[in-house]
Amino acid sequence: MIRISHLYVSYRSTFSDVEAVTNASLTIAKGTIAALVGESGSGKSTLLMAILSLLPPGTLVKGKIIFDGEDILQIPESKLNRIRWERIALIPQGAMNSLTPVLSVGQQIREILSFHNGIKGLPAERKTAELLDKSGLPSSVAGRYPHELSGGQKQRASIAMALACDPDFLLADEPTTALDVITQGEIVSTLSKIVRDTGMGMLLVTHDLPLATSVADHITVMKNGLIVEQGSTEEILENPHHVHTRELIAALKVLEGGNSN
Amino acid sequence: MKSWKRWSFIALFLIILTAIAGPFLFGTDPENPMAPPFSKPVWLDRDAPLTRILELTEGETTKTFKSKGDPPKQFRLKGRIRFEGTPVKATLVWRTPREEILLEDLSRYSDILIDLDGRDITFKLNIGLSAFDNAMDKLMPAEGEYSLYIESDVPVASAELTATLEGGRWGVLGTDQRGRNVLYLFVMGIRVSLIVGISATLIASMIGLSMGLLSGYAGGFTDSVIMRSVDVLLSIPILPILMALAGIWGKGLWQLVLILSLFSWMGTARTVRSLTLTLRDACFIENLRALGAGTPYILARHLLPETLPLLLANIALGVPGAILAEAGISFLGLSDPRVISWGRMLHEAHSFGAFTTGAWWLLLPPGLGIAFLCLIFLDIGKFLEEMVDPRLKGGNDK
Amino acid sequence: MKNYWIKRIASAFLVLGVVLILNFLLFRMMPGDPVSSIIDPRFSPEAKEQLRKIYGLDLSLSRQFILYAKQMITFRFGISFLTQRPIWEELSSRIPNTVALLGSALILSAIIGTLLGIKAALNRGTVIEKIVLWGGAVSFSFPSFFVQLILLMCFGYLFPIFPLRGTISIPPPTGAMAAVADYIWHMSLPVISLVLLGFGGWALYVRNLMVKVLGEDFILMAKAKGLPSHNIIWGHAFRTILPPVITIFLLALPGIVSGAVITETVFSLHGVGRFLLESVTGHDYPAAGAAFYLLALLTIMSNLIADLAYGFVDPRVRFERRGKR
Repeated sequence: MIRISHLYVSYRSTFSDVEAVTNASLTIAKGTIAALVGESGSGKSTLLMAILSLLPPGTLVKGKIIFDGEDILQIPESKLNRIRWERIALIPQGAMNSLTPVLSVGQQIREILSFHNGIKGLPAERKTAELLDKSGLPSSVAGRYPHELSGGQKQRASIAMALACDPDFLLADEPTTALDVITQGEIVSTLSKIVRDTGMGMLLVTHDLPLATSVADHITVMKNGLIVEQGSTEEILENPHHVHTRELIAALKVLEGGNSN
Repeated sequence: MKSWKRWSFIALFLIILTAIAGPFLFGTDPENPMAPPFSKPVWLDRDAPLTRILELTEGETTKTFKSKGDPPKQFRLKGRIRFEGTPVKATLVWRTPREEILLEDLSRYSDILIDLDGRDITFKLNIGLSAFDNAMDKLMPAEGEYSLYIESDVPVASAELTATLEGGRWGVLGTDQRGRNVLYLFVMGIRVSLIVGISATLIASMIGLSMGLLSGYAGGFTDSVIMRSVDVLLSIPILPILMALAGIWGKGLWQLVLILSLFSWMGTARTVRSLTLTLRDACFIENLRALGAGTPYILARHLLPETLPLLLANIALGVPGAILAEAGISFLGLSDPRVISWGRMLHEAHSFGAFTTGAWWLLLPPGLGIAFLCLIFLDIGKFLEEMVDPRLKGGNDK
Repeated sequence: MKNYWIKRIASAFLVLGVVLILNFLLFRMMPGDPVSSIIDPRFSPEAKEQLRKIYGLDLSLSRQFILYAKQMITFRFGISFLTQRPIWEELSSRIPNTVALLGSALILSAIIGTLLGIKAALNRGTVIEKIVLWGGAVSFSFPSFFVQLILLMCFGYLFPIFPLRGTISIPPPTGAMAAVADYIWHMSLPVISLVLLGFGGWALYVRNLMVKVLGEDFILMAKAKGLPSHNIIWGHAFRTILPPVITIFLLALPGIVSGAVITETVFSLHGVGRFLLESVTGHDYPAAGAAFYLLALLTIMSNLIADLAYGFVDPRVRFERRGKR
């Protein structure tokens, strides 16, 4: 269980501090998918990066992020490196340049296996093939370099990488942006299937409410750094409190109406 | 626009001023020996006596000075004395606080050439010493007033005498292996560096500009030929070619300029080509072509002005390279020995004894001069580059 | 991939061809009698006639060139005007010195420059970064020979730690160990001077590239993976900038080889560069041509090696043409 309570994050800028997250509290349980929905700039990605303690140096963070009874914000770097990826893994934005361009996909997965699990040589290669298969890629992709892969393939490679250490939680930061609609659907269904099969927990950060409602158990809506709505998917769809959520849902209904015609 | 406040512009202006005014300030020919070879600068080694030069010019018959009595290393007296008639009795006298020493008997000569040296045995014997004594001990024994004068029964028509009391220190920057004034040589060196640096880069940029425009605009075969030659020229060590050409074609300043520019246009050509390529397909050029504008017209009226600011920055940034190349060739001794340049000064210091005499002060002025001039042009280039592309401002991070 | 090798090797041959043509024209197409520039005017008529035959001066220009190219490729450079000895004999004893000088200077400045550049990129705004920025400025604006002359004056004359000139002591020391130590002693100052001149530019490039790459998404990802910083810096960041670093090395290579002439002159080393200078000043054209050819060959070969290394470190080589080279 990851429990975020009263989290404040502010970035230092030349003129004044900019508060990106204000008093956010959020819980992600194992075996569930929580979605964090908001427009760009609403602070949702900042919140996600705070969980891995990966905010740029100089950022001010207040509050608590309790994982396994410990506050992630207080854990020293060396111990953090054991929580990162082994317990909590990250699936980056599809648009991000998140694979090292000069290393093959296989090299990058094996590096993780070797450092975190001590698996090397042939077993590592077998495990790599297995991971790629799980995320829907042929094992030949292991020998490929990032520039040889399509956007969807890169994202699947990122998923394979995230699964390398069988983490307890997956943090997915807009995993489908910059992908075409069909690939988006495939990636999301692969992800939710993996989460349901393995019983891990996932935090899905997205600006896409329909996507969130289709997979998530709980939804949190953020706007301008504030959490404006929180609840189970059904609750939110049926009885939204905040104006912003209502607008989002109204837009969703229009779209669905359009689709049914 | 605060461009004029930038230090490099002020420094360049002052340097050009010095280069122009230099020869007038010193008066004489820089090749003239001014003081003994390898004299130290006056600010160095303060215990050593200064090199003192006494000159008797038109009409003067006496020269007096005060000394602390630290004997210089050598004494030399050279010149010519003419009388208005033939004197029955005439003498050239050196008066010390202790005695009067007869340096030369001038009697019965109406016109006499003087050439005395403290190390000469005859001179020592003449002033009453043995061949093994040090003449300086007798000539400058103690603190007090000294004078050099001519006594005769006939008026002196003209006396041009130079007495050199060599102490090992002379001038602001000392003297070189031929006794020339290093400060003067340094000032003269500015010209060569500026002329060669700027004109070689200008010519090279013109070549580079035409090559780049041609390559970028024409494309196809022309482009690949030009770009391949650029690649090849950039992967050959150029200095040996420059050396060979300088050795064969003669060593004049303008030959050097030509040689340098022939082998340094490649970078400009590349930059101009890539800019031309991006501009060639820009909308306004397409429109011009649709309006029926010919290639020469587009090149001259639109592409050229667009590339010009970049070219200007390129020229400024290219000057240090040309200055360094010229200095390098001169340092290797492949420049005209009659032309004073900073590279030549270092060459002479290296080959003619600066290292056996430890005359390190001969190295600093030309070397620092080159470096300073290069830094000035780098700064101007950076400034121009920032004007072309304001994103470059504020650090070189990205 | 195969295409890449073929292209690189072909371009090496192209450069070699251009060098041969340049060399041929440079020393043969001079003003005045072409014969006098190739054959020492002081030789007897019979000797001249014989040399004419060797150089094929009575043949057509294209035939002459083919003959010349053959001689160059097989290292038959002819007789030196100055020493009257075979040029190859003169050169062969000098090649190891030049290679040792440039090789060790390059390796040392690459290592020091890379380490400092990375350190500077990781510690922005510290003293190390300032040193790197200034070191870079110095190496771009100070004439190499000036820095070397100052070093020589300081450590050869004022504080005589190193010898003033030469490659070995005269008389040479006896014993293999002593000879090696003597050689290293003589080569130290030249190598140190080249490293001092070289590391700044190197460090500056590495720093700029590192600063850029450290801001990339995949570095943040590597941190998210919990990898130790050593892996991130070397395995991801430095590994990514390795191709451009090699490209910069390639661009600097001709200048480095040119530097041999100046360094060997300042320190009076027994090398190819100083031989070139002596030949040029002594109007010994065949010898100068041979020395230039050897220096160019050295450049071409190092270039080819670096090209091959580039092919190994940059996976994109298989598909794309290299950007700006």
